[in-house]
Amino acid sequence: MNQIIDNMKKKLLPFILLWVVLLNSAIYLNVAYGNAMHSTETYFKNNPPNGNLERTENQIDLKQKKEIRGTVRDSADILPGVSVKVKGTAIGTTTDLSGKYILDVPNDNVVLVFSMVGYTSQEIAVKGKELIDVSLQPDDKNLDEVVVVGFGTQKRTDMVGSVTSINVGELKTPSSNLTNALAGRAAGVIAYQRSGEPGLDNADFFVRGVTTFGYKSSPLILIDGMELSTTDFARLQPDDIASFSIMKDATSTAVYGARGANGVILITTKQGAVGKAKLSFRLENSISTPTRDVELADPITYMKLSNEAILTRNPLGQVLYSEDKIASTADGANPIVYPANDWKDMIFKDYTMNQRANLSISGGGGVARYYVSGSYNKDNGILNVDQRNNFNNNIDLKSYTLRSNIDIDVTKSTHMIVRLSGNFDDYSGPVDGGAGMYRKVMASNPVLFPAYYPIDAPHQFVKHIMYGNYDQGKYINPYAELTKGYKDYSRSLMLAQVELKQDLSMLTEGLSFRTMVNTNRTSYFDVSRYYNPYLYTLAGYDRLTDTYNITNINEETATEYLGYSEGPKDISSTFYMESMLNYNRSFNKHNLSGLLVYIMRQNLTANAGDLQLSLPFRNLGISGRTTYSYDSRYYAEFNFGYNGSERFHESQRFGFFPSAGLAWSISNEKFFAPFKSTVTNLRLRATYGLVGNDAIGSPSDRFFYLSNVNMNDAGKSASFGNQVGSGPYSLNGVTISRYANEDITWETGYKKNAALELGLFDKLNIQAEYYTETRKNILMTRASIPVTMGLSAPIRANVGEAASKGTDISLDYQQSLSNGMWFSARGNFTYATNKYTVYEEPEYNEYYRSHIGSSIQQVYGYIAERLFIDDAEAANSPKQNFGEYGGGDIKYLDVNRDGQITEADQVPIGNPTVPEIVYGFGFSMGFKNFDFSAFFQGLANESFWIDAEATSPFAPYYSDAEKAANSSILNYTVQNQLLKAYADSHWSEDVRDVYALWPRLSSTINANNTQTSTWFMRNGSFLRLKQIELGYKLPQKILEKLHTSYLRVYVNASNLLTLSKFKLWDVEMGGNGLGYPIQKVFNIGLNVSFN
Amino acid sequence: MKHNSKVMKKSIISSVYLLTILSIVCSCKNYLDVVPDNVATIDNAFTMRTQAQKFLFTCYSYMPKDGDLADNPALVGGDEMWEIDTRGAYFNIAKGLQNVVSPYGDRWTALYRGIRDCNIFLENIDKVPDMEETEKRRWIAEVKFLKAYYHFYLVRMYGPIPIVKENLPINADVEAVKVTRDPVDSCFSYIAQLINEATESLPETIIDPTNEAGRITLPIALSFKAKVLVYAASPLFNGNTDQVALKNPDGTALFNPTSEKEKWNAAVSACKAAIDLCHRMGLKLYSYNPDFQQYALTDTIVTQLSIRNSVAEKWNSEIIWANTQTNTTALQQLMATWWDPLYLDGTVTRGELSPPLKIAELFYSQHGVPINEDKDWDYNGRYKLRTATDDDKLYIRKDYTSAYFNFDREPRYYADLGFDGGIYYGQGKYDDSKSSELFYLEAKFKQRNGFGKFNFLTVTGYYVKKLIHYQNVIGTGNNYSVTTYPWPLMRLSDLYLLYAEALNESAGPSEEAYDYLNLVRERAGLQSVQDSWSNYSINPSKYTTQEGLRAIIHQERLIELAFEANRFWDLRRWKEAANELNKPITSWDLSQETAEAYYRPVVVFSPTFGTKNYFWPIKDSNITANRNIVQNLGW
Repeated sequence: MNQIIDNMKKKLLPFILLWVVLLNSAIYLNVAYGNAMHSTETYFKNNPPNGNLERTENQIDLKQKKEIRGTVRDSADILPGVSVKVKGTAIGTTTDLSGKYILDVPNDNVVLVFSMVGYTSQEIAVKGKELIDVSLQPDDKNLDEVVVVGFGTQKRTDMVGSVTSINVGELKTPSSNLTNALAGRAAGVIAYQRSGEPGLDNADFFVRGVTTFGYKSSPLILIDGMELSTTDFARLQPDDIASFSIMKDATSTAVYGARGANGVILITTKQGAVGKAKLSFRLENSISTPTRDVELADPITYMKLSNEAILTRNPLGQVLYSEDKIASTADGANPIVYPANDWKDMIFKDYTMNQRANLSISGGGGVARYYVSGSYNKDNGILNVDQRNNFNNNIDLKSYTLRSNIDIDVTKSTHMIVRLSGNFDDYSGPVDGGAGMYRKVMASNPVLFPAYYPIDAPHQFVKHIMYGNYDQGKYINPYAELTKGYKDYSRSLMLAQVELKQDLSMLTEGLSFRTMVNTNRTSYFDVSRYYNPYLYTLAGYDRLTDTYNITNINEETATEYLGYSEGPKDISSTFYMESMLNYNRSFNKHNLSGLLVYIMRQNLTANAGDLQLSLPFRNLGISGRTTYSYDSRYYAEFNFGYNGSERFHESQRFGFFPSAGLAWSISNEKFFAPFKSTVTNLRLRATYGLVGNDAIGSPSDRFFYLSNVNMNDAGKSASFGNQVGSGPYSLNGVTISRYANEDITWETGYKKNAALELGLFDKLNIQAEYYTETRKNILMTRASIPVTMGLSAPIRANVGEAASKGTDISLDYQQSLSNGMWFSARGNFTYATNKYTVYEEPEYNEYYRSHIGSSIQQVYGYIAERLFIDDAEAANSPKQNFGEYGGGDIKYLDVNRDGQITEADQVPIGNPTVPEIVYGFGFSMGFKNFDFSAFFQGLANESFWIDAEATSPFAPYYSDAEKAANSSILNYTVQNQLLKAYADSHWSEDVRDVYALWPRLSSTINANNTQTSTWFMRNGSFLRLKQIELGYKLPQKILEKLHTSYLRVYVNASNLLTLSKFKLWDVEMGGNGLGYPIQKVFNIGLNVSFN
Repeated sequence: MKHNSKVMKKSIISSVYLLTILSIVCSCKNYLDVVPDNVATIDNAFTMRTQAQKFLFTCYSYMPKDGDLADNPALVGGDEMWEIDTRGAYFNIAKGLQNVVSPYGDRWTALYRGIRDCNIFLENIDKVPDMEETEKRRWIAEVKFLKAYYHFYLVRMYGPIPIVKENLPINADVEAVKVTRDPVDSCFSYIAQLINEATESLPETIIDPTNEAGRITLPIALSFKAKVLVYAASPLFNGNTDQVALKNPDGTALFNPTSEKEKWNAAVSACKAAIDLCHRMGLKLYSYNPDFQQYALTDTIVTQLSIRNSVAEKWNSEIIWANTQTNTTALQQLMATWWDPLYLDGTVTRGELSPPLKIAELFYSQHGVPINEDKDWDYNGRYKLRTATDDDKLYIRKDYTSAYFNFDREPRYYADLGFDGGIYYGQGKYDDSKSSELFYLEAKFKQRNGFGKFNFLTVTGYYVKKLIHYQNVIGTGNNYSVTTYPWPLMRLSDLYLLYAEALNESAGPSEEAYDYLNLVRERAGLQSVQDSWSNYSINPSKYTTQEGLRAIIHQERLIELAFEANRFWDLRRWKEAANELNKPITSWDLSQETAEAYYRPVVVFSPTFGTKNYFWPIKDSNITANRNIVQNLGW
């Protein structure tokens, strides 16, 4: 197959030429045919036939042939683009820009069907009329009839590829982050949220799981054709969205060539419609509170177990807390001397309030239409603020969006759209951010010092807050960390887009040209302002008089004035251009469309930090699509993408990604007519094709074909000279961080998709899809290169292969009852699984170590049997090679029975870390002016691991990320807090519970117990009541009095209930449970429109 | 026809349209060539001298930073200094926690990278146009030396290793990269060959010490070769029958089970050549003789300073090779204790790394013989109490009660060790005529240098004084001024003792062997080996037999080079580790406040050392990646 593609690549230019020629000839033929028809008509008009011609199905009954004309409009204005069809045939046309149409109908008895997206179709019998003017009524229900696909739209009923479109109304959740609305809403999308911190709460989402191990596994996000980041997507207002499509299979994504393999999310924003200015706004106020909080042990238990942790490991060790201190703290003696802080309670509030507002105005006339909207979201954190500072150190994220979409008819055949939008985040929050505060609280000692000392007589002139600390002042006082200052950041996205559409029907009917130029700028910067807090420690305490002295620890470094530090300043600019030639024509029962699009894109980043990274990111491609359908029964589609990516060597740079699909609408067959009333829709679809992914390796691997050499690496410096310590002669050295490899190219996904659509009784719609994918050319590090080669960078090659398969099913049910009650229910289910089929790995002696056949997200670890009963058992068991261990430490299974526990005993454990099953289901119902809806969402087949190091009580824990980033927390003495669950259930010498939650305590991280093992593995499955909503729409009479056209008030709530076996924290956070918790939100809102 | 021509026209126009688009595509083919010329590649390193020098420095940068606890397993991986609970580093090796999953102190990856960079340098240096030929030859010689050094470092740790004479190409065949270990004799001869090649172009001395001190010179190369050949001749590598079973998958034996005397002969001549050159270059054993001397010091203190400064005075007259890639600032901070009673609250000084009692016991009596051999030294009464008199005032604080153990010991005992009641000369108090003002330590329970005060401080009752420069001063606040020095890799006294050892092993006791031993003893303030043993030992003829002299040389070496990360390797090389490293680590009874109770040895830890511990385990994943590499025995 690869060879074929290679050959095709070589012959690609001729191929495109051939394609163009074919398209041209098709156009030519059609033009010729169309003209021939016309000339025939003219001929017959001028020369009425006197004999009977043989009638074939496709021929027009020339005897009764008739021309109908008319104008289509809605309540406000003319309507261009309305489809006018003779019912039951393929004969039809569309209205021109002035809303007019001309149609030849076979006879007088036919019925014309006028239809357009967003309007109720209307059927009018001809019955002798020659002029039929129609006024269409708007209809919101049919919005999903037309689906936005790559570089165009397709009718839902004509689809061959696999595209899910989300009903925009469902995205209106009580959250300012659009990504949080994705989970469980669309079949084929895997989504979950790991944090609840404003600004950092983007959900992770994947289309049909993750079948790559490149750095980018999330789908390509295109908003109005423009590629944008997840955060830009997150800030999009649901009110502004016109359509939301998720493209999953090869035919729908192949046009994106080397970037479409992980699926594509395509969003278009609203356009204005002809009519009076329509103003609508939405106001919301919500209360958010953590779904579940981690519980910590009380300070007395903390001290007792801290002592136990030291003594159980070393009976001669020195404990940190004397019996006297523990007893005095328990008795509630002087709280300044015997502090017992609940840092969490002190730092965090129980709830916070957030506001959202959105306003849009749209309308327009014959020449131009507009849609202008603005929104304002305010999200607050759950941190407390100290009133003695005049700054707000709680998280306050304000996000503004302004959007203007203008449609202009330049000439009758030229149409221009200008879209301008800006999104701005203004953030103010604690210096460390919300997650940073959680980190510090979890790393602080509750009993060493109080948050601050009250002003006493010797310090009556002190103006600063006298924060508590201990020893050298390196301990974490979360209160000081929170109140010492604040951080501001600003983030903006400015987007300008102009689109020009030229109708080329003067060349040939159905031909149009479109070009779009788009540019955007994103920027981010932050600034922190903070004190170096004055830290005090207890210097002496006289128990008899209950008096104490405090003394300052850090006179030299503390400040009463604010200091300042600048964060990163990120700027990037993107330019994008696409030019497209579109052909769309139907004649008789044949529908033919063709599309040829040329795209180029460039992205530049300021402060990239490295020459190679600073070079522009570019993409270039040409894509095409041809669709053909016959009689609304048989459909065929062919797509291709021919893309280049600058990351690869010239010889590997361009890739060709073809795809093809077929569909059969069985329910439109004649033989199916008897069943049509029961089975309203029955359709089969199948596609096959190739899609690429060039986001492999890591983003810093810009050019695989070039070596990357750091000619000035301080890590490879050497120093000489006898002045050591006072300026020796030193030079930096040279490091190779990548070896050149000209053969590296993108991954290719070979995707198959089969789908069944079933509609029953016009009420229930079922779509079931089954897909498989083989991902080849996955970039892997060669495992067969021993380190004796001395290579300083991994050698990689496109050798990996993975296969994935899955199913997505969606169900829709709608029913209206006679008494004004309506009911609808929907559900969807996604199952996505994958496995390695080729994985380069060392020759393991143990079959189970091989990754082949395991999921890409499979974790390997040790099987924990239980805890050792005592030291003797530990000494007599197979040797465990991770440092000191004994009774109460985790006993691992010697899988290969070689008498010791080594890496060879690691087996695949648990489910993958990305859920294999995601589902959602819900219902809505309405009665008179009330409506009520509920939506459940869940996921399954996911495992996660409690982070044993991060939760290891009393341990000085720094995460690998913190060490790598040289984080400021490394300057602090970190002591992990004690989780209440661990305090309640751990192995101790008195209670030798070999199945306790936590092993034997230790004051440091015990490497034996923190290995990845089944001991800390947990089931990530859950089912939660994601959203529940009750609304009330004001009746028409009152609305009229208020001069409004629509007014609805509603209350809703999200994340109300969660069903899961895991109780330590919100299960959706996975192993990251000590971070900023996911929020439960109660919301009240108002939606008003004026016409 | 009219219609047709119209149609033709339209389709021509549309074709032109499409072809225009296509031509845009074609003209934009270069659109994706975003990389400008002259992006740095490895060739840039050899286009001119200044860049090539960076690559030379890169080759040096792989030298292990021996002054760094985390980079030198020999400092604390044995029994010379014992741990503080909270420090991990290589104490885990000493505690028997070495493992195959993630071996402590593993250097397999780092040093093979270093060797590859050396080879890249050697392959490319001839391309540099703007260099003098002599300088080019010198650089090549330095890099060859480093290549030898990195090979040696690996052999010392892992035993036989795969030799990398030339780099394998990046796209080498999978089978070709699966190298096997080379027999240990081949390893040593390849290392010696590399040094021989290097000696041809190395400078005899550094002409520009400000910029180049620490670069490889001829004396360094010859001394290192002497050390390499002594290792090759030592029992661990020469006729080690324990390792007979270690064979490559194809059956090649990696150790030669028969001991060969010729290896010692080769070592003798290598040592001699090195010593002769060092002498010719003016190197001599250091003795304290500063340009400016404020006080007329007693001989006692001068001897102590000669001993201390032979290591801690940078670039002194006996330093052959010091590693300028590392300095000792952090190590000195870690070892220094709170000798100054004025400043007890500093946290820069840590008072860690404590020599166990067996190390203190190793030092000779004042007569220069082992304390259990000295006729006049009451070995059995060594834990009895004794109060210091005026005679002892420069060693032990006058009127301070300590154990006999600390009395009447050789000068190196007092120069190298800090202990309860022991004088801590220098550090801001230099006038030894005012002995009552000199600093001294108080190391009983919760005393200023005693256990129980902080989380750190001694765990045995002893401190290392030897590596602390005598001018380091503790000041107010957190102030501790450190006079730092590059880590000495090879001192003349080391070379002398290697020579004496090689002479004795190749031909038994000889005058020349005694002479070099005595030079070292003389600087340490001791009488000659003949006099000391004849007059004071219960075994007066010990030095006249090969076995006796071997024991004497070994002990002399362990004392003279104490705390310089030699004991760890020497015990292994002599195959004495299985004996020494199975002895318990003992300390004084630190949680006692009275002298009576304090001066009782208690066991801190009982280490175990088996045959497998003579060599490092090869990391499991390195074997999984290349099954041709056999694991060391026992791992």
